[in-house]
Amino acid sequence: MKRSILVLFSVAIAFGTIANGQFEKAMGASIPAIFSSQSAEDLQEVINRLSRIGESEKTRWEPYYYTSYGYIKMSGFYKSQEDKDKYLELAISEAEKGLAVDGGNSELVSLKGYAYMMQLTIDPGTRGMTYSGLAFEQLNKAVALNPQNPRAHYLLGRMQHGTAQFMGGGDGGACKSLATAKNLFENAASPKNPFAPSWGEETTNSAIADLCGN
Amino acid sequence: MKNSFTLTCFLLSLMASAQFTISGTILDESGEPLLGVNVYVEGTYDGATSDLEGHFSFETAQTDDLVLIVSSIGFIKETIALTGSTDTIEVKLREEISQLNSVIITAGSFNASEENQREVLRPLDIATTAGATADIPGALNTLPGTQRVGETGRLFVRGGEGRETKTFIDGMLVHEEYSPTAPNTPSRSRFSPFMFKGASFSTGGYSAEFGQALSSALVLESKEAAESNRTDLSFMTVGADVSTTQTLPNGSVAAKVQYTNLTPYFEFIPQNLQWDTAPTSWDGNIAVRQKTGKTGLLKLYANLSTSSLAIREASISEPEILLPATVSNDYTYLNASYRTLLSDKWGIRTGTSFTTSSDFASLDKASRKQDLLGFHSKLVGDYQHSDRFALVVGGELMGRSIKQRLQEQETYHRKVDEYTGASFAELEFYFSKDIALKTGLRGEYNALNEEMSVDPRIAAAYKTGTHSQVSIAYGRFRQSASDEVIINAPSAEQEKATHYIANYQHVADGQTFRIEAYEKRYSDLAQFQDINNTASYQYRGDGHARGIELFWRDRKSIKNLDYWVSYSFLDTERTYRNYPGAYTPPFASSHNFSVVTKKFIDQLKSQVGVTYSFASARTYNDRNSERFLSGRTPAYHDLSFNISYLYSNQIIIHAMVNNALGINNVFGYEYASEPDTNGVFARRAITPPAKRFIFLGIFITLSKNKGINQLPNL
Repeated sequence: MKRSILVLFSVAIAFGTIANGQFEKAMGASIPAIFSSQSAEDLQEVINRLSRIGESEKTRWEPYYYTSYGYIKMSGFYKSQEDKDKYLELAISEAEKGLAVDGGNSELVSLKGYAYMMQLTIDPGTRGMTYSGLAFEQLNKAVALNPQNPRAHYLLGRMQHGTAQFMGGGDGGACKSLATAKNLFENAASPKNPFAPSWGEETTNSAIADLCGN
Repeated sequence: MKNSFTLTCFLLSLMASAQFTISGTILDESGEPLLGVNVYVEGTYDGATSDLEGHFSFETAQTDDLVLIVSSIGFIKETIALTGSTDTIEVKLREEISQLNSVIITAGSFNASEENQREVLRPLDIATTAGATADIPGALNTLPGTQRVGETGRLFVRGGEGRETKTFIDGMLVHEEYSPTAPNTPSRSRFSPFMFKGASFSTGGYSAEFGQALSSALVLESKEAAESNRTDLSFMTVGADVSTTQTLPNGSVAAKVQYTNLTPYFEFIPQNLQWDTAPTSWDGNIAVRQKTGKTGLLKLYANLSTSSLAIREASISEPEILLPATVSNDYTYLNASYRTLLSDKWGIRTGTSFTTSSDFASLDKASRKQDLLGFHSKLVGDYQHSDRFALVVGGELMGRSIKQRLQEQETYHRKVDEYTGASFAELEFYFSKDIALKTGLRGEYNALNEEMSVDPRIAAAYKTGTHSQVSIAYGRFRQSASDEVIINAPSAEQEKATHYIANYQHVADGQTFRIEAYEKRYSDLAQFQDINNTASYQYRGDGHARGIELFWRDRKSIKNLDYWVSYSFLDTERTYRNYPGAYTPPFASSHNFSVVTKKFIDQLKSQVGVTYSFASARTYNDRNSERFLSGRTPAYHDLSFNISYLYSNQIIIHAMVNNALGINNVFGYEYASEPDTNGVFARRAITPPAKRFIFLGIFITLSKNKGINQLPNL
């Protein structure tokens, strides 16, 4: 009797670790693939994988973060305004799926702001004012939700830079935001959550070199 | 212990060996392979993405109750239960019919929306059109289907009178939507374009949901809850305003107060009217938005205003005699609407609006006071069966009460109350993404003349290419006779119009081309010898309006330049009122043409706009001629400029000038009531009180959100 309980127990543990390990393994393989994929086809394959994970794991926001990020990247593979918009709108809806799991997540809110910023760049002449409002709204909100999120500061910095260029003169606070982002990247403790986003340090540094050099 | 280890190993190997392979092909409806489709077992990570040939293959551990999901962007998701042995499967996905890929019924309508990229206009376009002075009807007057009637500023659509266009806010009717103005000065809509996130301007053949408009429906949709706080200040040559928006938990509240006084302006810009009191007004607006539950949204809106002006009006026969004239108006509009989803497929919308408008006008000792009370209540159910089939059903009640007091030598009191009940049903069906049909019925009962009616509306559209489509519409429309008629003859028959419209549209990459032809037949129009002689009333008047209209918009060819060109040809005649036969009415012009251009100039940090408008001659009744409506005005020309300069992120300076060339536009002639000693009726040209209208304003936004300024508001 004792033995059979033990057997059942160990089977349960085996199952449990498989179930848990499955998420780690799948995410661990998919996240780098989002960044490394070089074509729309490859990227869609990774996004599909991640959305399967997202649908199975009802309590995880991370898969949606990467599907959203993936669609922002995807929009860059296309030329036409309609296609770009299609993927950027998908990016926003994926971020919102993630927000349905974790409402006040600064990373997801940053991505929404990022997607609006990219929609703005499609046609700054006519979209400028509407979309800059939308993008700033999300990015400011992302900073407020977590002032320690370097990506929120980095994206805000890019938005400020773009707006300042449009207005002519000044940097609109871009370099300050980028410096904050850089500082946060440098002093970031190793993350508790291995699947939380960690990108952005390199792009921040090169943005600082490009825009804030003396 | 050893046993248990063995057992575990056994179970694990069993699991491994239980893997089996699912493979197959994904095709679209026409049998072409689909790439990038996500195929997976529900609730698991097991799945694959289809390749260039539409093939997929993957292994899964799950064997029982296996549900396969096939999902791809732009296609309807398929769910397939797999039982027992499955070798290879073939799945055909049907393309989802969406706003982006399907045909849209465009006959007779122009839509402005921020959300749909394929719309012809954006709400911002309304605000930035030179010559439109940020006025919705002003901007819509640059579109085909409208005829310029410069002395009123109202929308005159396809040979219809101004009253044949009705305005709806969030589905609810607005009475007296124009602000009162001095004689022959274009009036403005009371509602600022910044309130709205979308507009649908129908020049004919519109939905069964709307009625009591013979020619046109302007359907405005107000903004949703604001997501950030802001305060705006504006200082203008004509007044000042302050507005603030504050977010609430799950909602927002916005308020605006505006004071307008043209006294200082008239000091600088000479007017050919003698003002006792330049137009002065106070306007207050409050808008509350509250989200309820997951899908509910309650909108409350109130607009209150009071305005007055006084002039000295010269007598036509003896211009040295100046008679005092005054105009004043108190106005309230309240609108409450609510919408929510009841289930996946059913949604409801409901709302109520109230309008009160109290007008007073006097000329010397004669005066006219009119009090209007209007209300409108509506309940609509929206049923979305699938992406192919949708049904709208609803009912509404409209009422208006008009009270007049006329004072000349004697005082007359007149009053009329009118109630109209209506119900409507409209179904929209997509045979495929290329063919759509919309068909509706509207039943109405008018308690005043006890008329019961059912009017059909039908529209269809067919996609002729990736970017092009044709669309047709037919409908019967009715509207109560004009206020002055029903107040004399409450049982007056309703006037009718039948519309036939055909439209071709090509929209691609920032370029839009539209051509539309229509025929509109009027019947049962009120006729009389003398409007005050009720015995002379008959309802047998009729008429037609037919025409061809062109629209071209290009945002692509020249960087940062956006322009559109509209042309309308109109042929119209009617027999109504006191017309002795079929004549072209004075508000109709055969040719209307507009070019609107907008360009952002980076170096100047400014958006500049130029609009040119042309309208051919209009008729007027020459009292010195035997023939009716024999006079012809000169053609109308207007060249207007505007510039918005971004002084800083949150300060904008806006300037504009209408009729920059100072062209002397004549809209018609007024005649003396009695002939002079030579038997000739003296006349006076109807002209604007000043040739040019010049506007200068500074708009300041106070917000933590640095991306917000008032440019979208200009």
